[in-house]
Amino acid sequence: MTAVKTFKLNLGPQHPSTHGVLRLILELDGEKILSCEPDVGYLHRGMEKMAEQMKYVQYLPTVDRIDYLAGCFYSELFCRTIEKAMGVEIPDKVKYIRVLLLELNRIASHLLWIGAFLMDLGATSPFFYAFREREMILRYFEKLTGQRMMYNYFVFGGVRTDINYLEDIENIIDILPQKIKDYEKIITDNPIFLTRTEGKGIIEQTLAKNYSITGVNLRASGVSYDQRLYDRLYNNIEFVPIVLDGKDSWSRYKARILEINESIKIIQQALEKVKQLGDLRQVLINPIRLKLPEGEYYSEIEAPRGLASCYILSDGSDKPYRLKWRTPSYYSVNLLREILRGAYLNDAIAIAGSLDIILPEVDK
Amino acid sequence: MNYLYFLYMDFLAKYNVPKILGNITFYIIPFCIIAAVLLVVVLILVLAERKLLGYFTQRKGPNRVGYWGVLQTLADAFKLLIKENITPGKADRFLYNLAPILVFVPVVTVLGIIPYSGEFTFVNTSTNIILYVVLAAFPVLSIFLAGWSSNNKYSLLGAARSISQVLSYELPITFVVLSIVVLASSMNLSGITLAQYSSKGLAGWFIFPCIAGFCIMFISILAELNRCPFDLPEAESELICGYNTEYSGMRFALFYLSEYSMLFANSLFLSIIFLGGYLSPFGGYLSHIIFGDSQLASFLVYFEQTFWLFLKSGIIIFVIIWIRATLPRLASYDLIKFSWVVLLPASIINLLWVIVYKYLTGGAA
Amino acid sequence: MDKKFNYEEFIKSFNVIGVVEDKILFEKDIHDAIKFAKNTYSFDMLKNITAIDKQEQGIEIIYHLYSTENNENVRFSITLQDECESVTDIFKSAQADENEIYDMFGIKFLGNESLKRLYMPESWQGFPLKKDYVQDDTRLAWNDSSKDV
Repeated sequence: MTAVKTFKLNLGPQHPSTHGVLRLILELDGEKILSCEPDVGYLHRGMEKMAEQMKYVQYLPTVDRIDYLAGCFYSELFCRTIEKAMGVEIPDKVKYIRVLLLELNRIASHLLWIGAFLMDLGATSPFFYAFREREMILRYFEKLTGQRMMYNYFVFGGVRTDINYLEDIENIIDILPQKIKDYEKIITDNPIFLTRTEGKGIIEQTLAKNYSITGVNLRASGVSYDQRLYDRLYNNIEFVPIVLDGKDSWSRYKARILEINESIKIIQQALEKVKQLGDLRQVLINPIRLKLPEGEYYSEIEAPRGLASCYILSDGSDKPYRLKWRTPSYYSVNLLREILRGAYLNDAIAIAGSLDIILPEVDK
Repeated sequence: MNYLYFLYMDFLAKYNVPKILGNITFYIIPFCIIAAVLLVVVLILVLAERKLLGYFTQRKGPNRVGYWGVLQTLADAFKLLIKENITPGKADRFLYNLAPILVFVPVVTVLGIIPYSGEFTFVNTSTNIILYVVLAAFPVLSIFLAGWSSNNKYSLLGAARSISQVLSYELPITFVVLSIVVLASSMNLSGITLAQYSSKGLAGWFIFPCIAGFCIMFISILAELNRCPFDLPEAESELICGYNTEYSGMRFALFYLSEYSMLFANSLFLSIIFLGGYLSPFGGYLSHIIFGDSQLASFLVYFEQTFWLFLKSGIIIFVIIWIRATLPRLASYDLIKFSWVVLLPASIINLLWVIVYKYLTGGAA
Repeated sequence: MDKKFNYEEFIKSFNVIGVVEDKILFEKDIHDAIKFAKNTYSFDMLKNITAIDKQEQGIEIIYHLYSTENNENVRFSITLQDECESVTDIFKSAQADENEIYDMFGIKFLGNESLKRLYMPESWQGFPLKKDYVQDDTRLAWNDSSKDV
């Protein structure tokens, strides 16, 4: 008897399905995965070290780059931490503008995920359909902020300019629900899609909590934890966190679809509030002279990929003494070790895709 | 064909070429013609696929090179020709170079046995349906050679997937082909075509008694061609094109060419055995309707027959592209399970049904 | 099981230096404290582990625990020199955080066998987020004046 020979497969860092530069070292027996070892760091930019060398306002434009698909969230998170440190309460209108843009950004991010996930499964068309809708949102952002991805629109205590082109947002939220229905028609009940996703990549509740998985991935496992519920920005806005208990890839897909619909509702409410409130009054903090009082400041936000948090330790100078980001994708990558074991190679791609991993966020 | 044969022999006799040489070369010439025509067909197919995929996904497709992008594939082919051929350092050089050549041989041979019109078959053997089925499965050998010799794990996985895929889908194909042989009482593709003739046009086509067989055959052919949703051996998002990952330049072009040629050949085959081949979907031919019984009409009929055959296979290719734009990819174990659990029993039941049908409709006892 | 977290009760049962807002400062036994918090007060998620280089005081490590049932946050802090107990046997997510801290601060986590260089290359010397990390590393082309970049 000769022993069964296994072999190692180096999936990535250059691979079409790793959504960036993730490297997975897989040990395979045929197509069955025996073990998986993620290797990250190909996109490390030293965001935390960089913060210690820069003034807060200098650092502000770079935080968008932590997650290039949802730049608004990290911008907001950073501004929020600074505002908390300075004891500034932002006015209502600024709050609603931020909610509006955050949710638009969340939709754009989820749309891209839907396209990329279906691309992983081998269906090319949904990718283009999702990009078509995402394009509307990006066009709007470009009109408003001058940038398609790195908006740098939130500033300490407010936003850079007053919101404008509201009719574009109305247009987007008019069109989107119909388009989402179209996606559901070609994707959700597609038998091949079901065989690829139903019951695949199951994340049990305890496993998810143990691996510190947050966001949609956690809620698709049946845990009702949405940081937005405890978020002061969303105080006067009604929404229900999407909780599904399928625990599999299909639930994660469905949860994102439902979350887009929920975001549309939030946008509608925020839009009305923005229209009711008059001119923009801001409590701007002078960013040039900004010195944070000594102490630690911590804040959290529900980003599209999960819970993101920012920790700043200030020694009273104009630069942070220590700045720490919690990026949700990093924990999802760590989970791959557990859930890819025993899966087949083509399922592995689908499972890894369903977690919505984005590499700049992992590598910081 | 006979007429051409005598013309050719006379031509050679003029220059005192031995007759045996003429006999051999006469059968080589058509394959050279096929290879040349094939290039054009593939260029059109690739363009059609890109254009159609573009329209399916609300894009324009290639539209810069030439009017309506017609020269785009030509430009791409030229680019592939002038690209460097790279051989991986640890590849098995002989097999690595052999594979792309070997993949092209069965493709050209297969197209030689197709009856394009009533009088136009390059090589007409009495049992050429068997020859077709064997040759059509042949490219998988070179795919395996390519995957094996590339010394790349992705290629190897692609090759292994390809082998298991063809092994499991070859059986349903054979059973469906058998049922066609039963229906037509012939193993010759021209004979099968003529067996589908009926004065009411498409009423005689084998798709009607054998609709299940058509579906099984269509699905199996998708699998044999490595087309979506069975494109596992070259799954872009998993294996990075599988067996042809390491190939570049002209060698890659040969794989590409054979892939589309097989698509063309298989769609021709499908329309011959199920959709009446070169027969007109109406009772008579358009040429006869327009030009009456003139000499011109009987000459034009041959072209019209080819036109019908190409139209039918064009529709099949369109559906195949349509499927590619719509469906995600199956998982490898589901694919094999689907073949053994669904397709194989279905094809056997189909064969039994066809035999009963043939008996009931008073066919050969 | 679903007990609300009670600071006073908790502090009594452990050797605690002090409490700052929601941060409990420990001197030792951080592993047991986290285990106790998880089992007794249903803190079922370790949101993250942060390390801060406090120079002469050593390195402070902050564990951010969260209870999804009670929506409660608590932070445990411990200041140490270069070795720490690993909590990977309690929370699997600690593997990720501890590896990152090892990479950036050079803290060895006892009980975590799979620590390796994460963001930095295998051959990298020094730990970038430490305050005494020398930045003008001559291996980088742009820091080496002899090389023309």
